[in-house]
Amino acid sequence: METVKKTKYMNPYLAGVLLGLVVLSANFVSGRGLGASGAVKSAVITSVETIAPIHAEKSKFYSSYSKAHDGKPMHSWLVYQMLGVIVGGFASGAISNRLTWKVEHNPGITSRKRMIFALAGGVLFGLGSQLGRGCTSGSALSGMAVLSLGGFITMAAIFGTAFMLAYFFRKLWI
Amino acid sequence: MGPLVVNEIISENTNLLLAFFIGIGFGFVLEQAGFSSSRKLAGVFYGYDTVVLKVFFTGAITAMIGLLFFSLFGWIDLSIVYVNETYLWSAIVGGVIMGAGFIMGGYCPGTSFCGAAIGKIDAYIFILGLFIGVFIFGEGFNLFEPLFMAEFMGYPRLSEFFGLTEGITALLVIVAAVIMFWIGEWAEKKFPREEY
Amino acid sequence: MNKIFYSPRIIASIVFVMFGLIIAAVPKNTTTPFKLTAEQILNEIKSGTQYVDAEMIAQMIVEKDPSLQLIDLRPESEFQKYSLEGAINIPIDNLLSPAYYDILNQGVMTNVFYSNGSTRANEAWMLVRQLGYQNNYVLSGGLNYWFETIMNPQAPSATSPDDEFAKYDFRKAASQALGGGAVISAEPTSSTSKAIPKPKPQGKKQAVKGGCS
Repeated sequence: METVKKTKYMNPYLAGVLLGLVVLSANFVSGRGLGASGAVKSAVITSVETIAPIHAEKSKFYSSYSKAHDGKPMHSWLVYQMLGVIVGGFASGAISNRLTWKVEHNPGITSRKRMIFALAGGVLFGLGSQLGRGCTSGSALSGMAVLSLGGFITMAAIFGTAFMLAYFFRKLWI
Repeated sequence: MGPLVVNEIISENTNLLLAFFIGIGFGFVLEQAGFSSSRKLAGVFYGYDTVVLKVFFTGAITAMIGLLFFSLFGWIDLSIVYVNETYLWSAIVGGVIMGAGFIMGGYCPGTSFCGAAIGKIDAYIFILGLFIGVFIFGEGFNLFEPLFMAEFMGYPRLSEFFGLTEGITALLVIVAAVIMFWIGEWAEKKFPREEY
Repeated sequence: MNKIFYSPRIIASIVFVMFGLIIAAVPKNTTTPFKLTAEQILNEIKSGTQYVDAEMIAQMIVEKDPSLQLIDLRPESEFQKYSLEGAINIPIDNLLSPAYYDILNQGVMTNVFYSNGSTRANEAWMLVRQLGYQNNYVLSGGLNYWFETIMNPQAPSATSPDDEFAKYDFRKAASQALGGGAVISAEPTSSTSKAIPKPKPQGKKQAVKGGCS
């Protein structure tokens, strides 16, 4: 009847099994798990190299990464995978009528406040993912799939901290 | 047989093409599960929506079981599958920082790209934050390096760490996950919310 | 009616636990003990990636590099008489004994095999490499070459290129630090203080690509 009505989300267990199969196929095809923050890192390094090549050469962080990728940080597995994520996410949103421009936030806060916290959260996540050698997908999810000790530690640290801090940020979400 | 690229069954370029398709699958599943919504993601920390917990752990144990069965059938050589390296302190501190970022931003990197794909403006802001965060790490690398490299433990698997077989470790992880599913559904009943 | 019974949570839980029980009950697949094909090994031999220079090892010993693990493959009697600093003895006959598995198959230390020449070390390397173990190397030239170059270095002739002298100075310095016969005379040149790059774990190259970095 209502054509604009958003379709419901997939059953979480079914979605989880499908997600697991995606991780499995990544391991089967490429011998590695998924990742998201790595693509951001590639993009940051490419930008720094383009804007300030001398500075990038001097810093160990930029130059060693570039060397490991034959000088083409954007030509990496994770970058192609993340392009796929954007396409896949868009396709899913299109199918389920979820394509809208909006700032999603709890009615209790202004969208301006939501933006500020989104930015702060992003900064922290970006920093933490580099320190922890991967984000929730790269380190925690894919690490757990191969029973990596580090993956379990990172997973516990991410969710444990978020739970502990949940009380202090409750105004943002409930 | 597997991993295909390491055993040179497919070329490096095919691998990159397949990465794109794997990414499509990843993005599609994340969006279908509702991970493009920060309010749904953050719900797990307040108990009103534990979809993150369910999808995340189902995904992890499915992949884990799949890998072990593939190995059992001789389809994949687990010894050449990438196992994340473990640097104890950076894993903990990095995880703590990410946890704080999660509760503040409501996204993690993968889901933020998903949210951005369907037009969430807060996801774009979060991604901008990610870039800034990585840039800060790059600029302050000398400062972070001692912590980044501290307490290197090699590439241990959980099974090696506890001295159990991989199968039994997997079973324990599955049992832990199942317990969490029950806690999750209990929490959803206890802290219900209207449609959000 | 039977709504509870068929909830996705119950189905998921039952299926996962079932799979878990199966995987916990079956033994690990050991039908493919040889992880590398003969061709792959031949390629590695051709490129000579398993060799580590005596100079590099000398430098690592002097610097007390914690990642270095020297493995003496000679019989125990010979090991008792003389061995390199910090070396452990694994007679080649016992190489595949389970007691040494954790030493040979790991991802943290750099194992360097040596024997009198390099034949035996090479044999040991090929064996463990075929099993897919990583981070194992061969001391190029073995102990014989070690004595020739590190412990009793010969001064290069006056017409030799500069880097020959630098090498000689380094060997003399190393020799002295390791209790060899040469007497140090010249000031340590820049090459002695320059760190020699550690051998890269070649074998792991493809496998370690991954993660979110």
